[in-house]
Amino acid sequence: MPDPSFLFAQALSGLTVAMFLFLIASGLSLIFGVLRVLNFAHGSFYMLGAYLAWQFVQWVGTGPGRFWWAAAGAAAGIAVLGGLVERLLLRHLYGKDELYQLLFTYALVLILSDVAKVAWGTGQLSVSRPPGLDGAVRLAGTVVPYYNLFILLLGPAIAVAFWVVLYRTRAGRLIRAAALDREMLGALGTDVNRLYTGVFVLGSFLAGLGGALVTPVKTIVPGMDVEIIVEAFIVVVIGGLGSFWGTFLGALVYGQVLSFGILVIPRFSIFSVFALMAVVLILRPWGLLGRPLR
Amino acid sequence: MDRRTVLSVLGAAVASLLVAVPAGEAQKPIKVGFPMIMSGPGALFGEPAAKGAQMFVDEANAAGGVLGRKLELVVRDTKGNADEAVRVSRELILRENVDFLVGTLTSAEGPAVSVVAKENKIVFIAPIPKTDQLTAPDKLHPYVFRVASTTTIEGRTAAELMSKWNVKRIATISPDYAYGQDVTKAFVDYVKKLKPGVEIVDQQWPKLGEADYTPFINAQMVKKPEAVFSSLWGGHFVTFAKQARPLGYFDAIKHNFFGAGEAASPETAKAMKDDYPFGIWGNSYDAFYWTEGPPAHREYVRRVSAYLKDEHPSSWAIQGYIGMQALTAAIKKANSTDSDKVARALLGLTIDTPHGKLTIREKDHQANRAQIYGKTVKDPKLGFAVMRPAVYIDPAKFMD
Amino acid sequence: MSRLRRVPWGGLALAAALAVPAFGSRFYTFVATDVVILALFAVSLNLLLGYTGLVSFGHAAYFAIGAYTCGILMKKAAVPFALAWPAGGLLAAALALVFGFFCVRLTKIYFAMLTLAFAQIVWAICFKWNDVTGGEQGMPEVPYPELAWMARLPGLGDLRTSDHFYLLTVVLVGLCLGILRRIVGSPFGRILTTIRENPERAEFIGVDVRRYELVAFVIAGGFAGLAGALFGIFNRGVFPDFAYWPKSSEALIMTLLGGMGHFWGPAVGALVLLVLNQQITAYTEYWPFVLGTILIVLLFAFPGGIVGALDAAARRLGRRR
Repeated sequence: MPDPSFLFAQALSGLTVAMFLFLIASGLSLIFGVLRVLNFAHGSFYMLGAYLAWQFVQWVGTGPGRFWWAAAGAAAGIAVLGGLVERLLLRHLYGKDELYQLLFTYALVLILSDVAKVAWGTGQLSVSRPPGLDGAVRLAGTVVPYYNLFILLLGPAIAVAFWVVLYRTRAGRLIRAAALDREMLGALGTDVNRLYTGVFVLGSFLAGLGGALVTPVKTIVPGMDVEIIVEAFIVVVIGGLGSFWGTFLGALVYGQVLSFGILVIPRFSIFSVFALMAVVLILRPWGLLGRPLR
Repeated sequence: MDRRTVLSVLGAAVASLLVAVPAGEAQKPIKVGFPMIMSGPGALFGEPAAKGAQMFVDEANAAGGVLGRKLELVVRDTKGNADEAVRVSRELILRENVDFLVGTLTSAEGPAVSVVAKENKIVFIAPIPKTDQLTAPDKLHPYVFRVASTTTIEGRTAAELMSKWNVKRIATISPDYAYGQDVTKAFVDYVKKLKPGVEIVDQQWPKLGEADYTPFINAQMVKKPEAVFSSLWGGHFVTFAKQARPLGYFDAIKHNFFGAGEAASPETAKAMKDDYPFGIWGNSYDAFYWTEGPPAHREYVRRVSAYLKDEHPSSWAIQGYIGMQALTAAIKKANSTDSDKVARALLGLTIDTPHGKLTIREKDHQANRAQIYGKTVKDPKLGFAVMRPAVYIDPAKFMD
Repeated sequence: MSRLRRVPWGGLALAAALAVPAFGSRFYTFVATDVVILALFAVSLNLLLGYTGLVSFGHAAYFAIGAYTCGILMKKAAVPFALAWPAGGLLAAALALVFGFFCVRLTKIYFAMLTLAFAQIVWAICFKWNDVTGGEQGMPEVPYPELAWMARLPGLGDLRTSDHFYLLTVVLVGLCLGILRRIVGSPFGRILTTIRENPERAEFIGVDVRRYELVAFVIAGGFAGLAGALFGIFNRGVFPDFAYWPKSSEALIMTLLGGMGHFWGPAVGALVLLVLNQQITAYTEYWPFVLGTILIVLLFAFPGGIVGALDAAARRLGRRR
């Protein structure tokens, strides 16, 4: 019988994985759920958010509070980029086959990855943890870094904030309505175009924020856009189309499957996320909390 | 008109594009194809390697060229895919008509391009792939040569260093693919031979490009190792170290950590600054701060810093440089650009590299290329980790 | 206009393809072999995409399975090409049957994501099963099939092995394309189109949509496997990248570039993409940027792809006459 504090530590590791992934997948899920667009470029936004955060840190320095400014600035920058992309380009593809929207976002990935390469080169960049969250705390026999704790709390906070916005505000009601029936909403007088732009901007903001907040625990390298996007997609799909809590749940499940999977099958890591998706979609075709799409 | 007409019209149009391909040359330079990773996570090694090679070419051309002809480097992006590496190599041979191939980076690209070189009878010098497969007896052929180190050399050197530490319980953490598997196996086999009392208490195998190492770090710490061998490289090592340090991982093993895969390279140290787990051991192909090096090295560092416009130049440029050095030395010795003659000239060839003499042995076309090893410490002037003392460990006894 | 239709364009294209070795350039043969094989791959995908309306992100899995099967049989078991090649197609079709069974129960995005998941699982297996597939390093040096008999055919005596293999490829791919053409022209193919246009209506008139989709999936997978088997030999090696999702996206792009709505569209797309790739990478390392831009222009201005655009232009010209 393995040591309970080890089990706790491993479960906590799984939660950490889950929350970092959720940070990125939340924006993807939002865009997915409302606009029905599988945004490949979400990973690119995430990567650019990380690069921007690094850049801002170079400019404002690493004094107290500076990191948060850099992160906020990066997220805002990506939000603007998302808005431009949606308004000028993506919008014109809404009526068309989903495949076109998908390939459009894929084209964006290609373009943005070269943009990043030109701007920041091919080297690895790193950002340190913000001074306030540098240490660690002992919890039930295991060490939990403060920054990880911050992310562990931030994940659910974002989920709750979303729930509040979606179910307790007028804007949220409109968003939900747009997700269910765009034409009807437009016929009722709402400016659906602006709504869509708003949702895309918000999703992009989350992507940029995710990228910026992840820099203290990851390297910034070319290729990080592609590394993250497939895992993020899968978590969204496992959770269920259109279900925000589904994404949260999907991330949680994935984190634990990885965490304990590697104890059972040590070289399981490469299969984990795909095997999980295959199993979920075979047993429950619409994801854990999803609704049938037909 | 119907779509078949369209197809033919289009076909004609595109065929005319193809006709534009073969280029006529007034003066014939010696063309060297350089397939290398220029995008994605490996680019941080590939790009400087290409620049190092280009620097050598520029220097050689300024000094009058080779056999009176100019050298020309033709670089192509392999994207880190063996498949793409094969394609661009064949394009380099068939379209660009290169005389030689120098390049590839990963352990998959190297052997794949080696086959292309063999079938086209073109000399191929690999400056970076470490896999033993490249020069294994069943894969060896007259045209493949390597000036990189090997997983055998790297694993065994680490094993010898670590066998001197006062530890019995060793763990490993390596990315789960050819390079990680091979170098870890070389390490484990050799350390058990050198120190039979050693116990491998844990082995973690995160996938290549793992985003989050926390579950692996955790699972390893529970086994309470006294020392760890790792082959996580580049950005993967940085991510791992950034996640492991706050968890107390390095403290728990008292920094008895060996980071193969060039964890102590200047670019990694510089990127991480104070996040670096100072006190661990690592290796690197080159280190601009290597004051114990030969005078030729100091000269090289001066030139490469100027060329790359970086006072802390990359440690990977030297491999591209040495690759080209070996090739041109062989061309000069053979007094020809015929691959058969150059291949024969390469056997047993000794060249003067910035790291001292390097010999390509006849037995398996492998050069006695080692790396610089050392324990890291923070340099107050530079502001990031350096190996001190930095020792170039002769690989002779580790080579079978 | 009817006079033009009677000209056997397909036959002319075949003749042109067969004439390539006459140029005597190793490079032309190299490019042509690449194009011909990938054209088959892209056309097989279009059976799903353009004709049945199924977006598959994981088509490369079957390409890889065909390549590995044929390569392993020929290299490790010394099985002759004549048996190994169809075996590649059969195993790919068999796996398409297994995966497809689960995939067709889903629609649209879920379908796409499950095809991707299966493809990535295939990739992961190829990447890790060192003993059988060679793992991450793949299987370099797949042998050429026994082609000495070709040298005895009239006019082919003094061609190189790569030319012989190219001609064999043209014949085999031509055969496959011919079969596929028959399939899409048949009543079965017309039902697929009905399914693409409106699955509910098809269901309503009594079509077992899932069964038809599964059959299409298996056929597409089988032909992708045949293409992959040829590619493994052409490429002088089989690697796990054959199953990785960028390979699937390459096929999607070719199909879109050429035009999903036409049988030959993806073949044209394969030709144009490959040639463009070569020409542009000779000048810049930023090919992804260029490709992305081309894609965007395509999506906004020419959604029917090249063939679609030319077809529309030709029709407009025809009407003005």
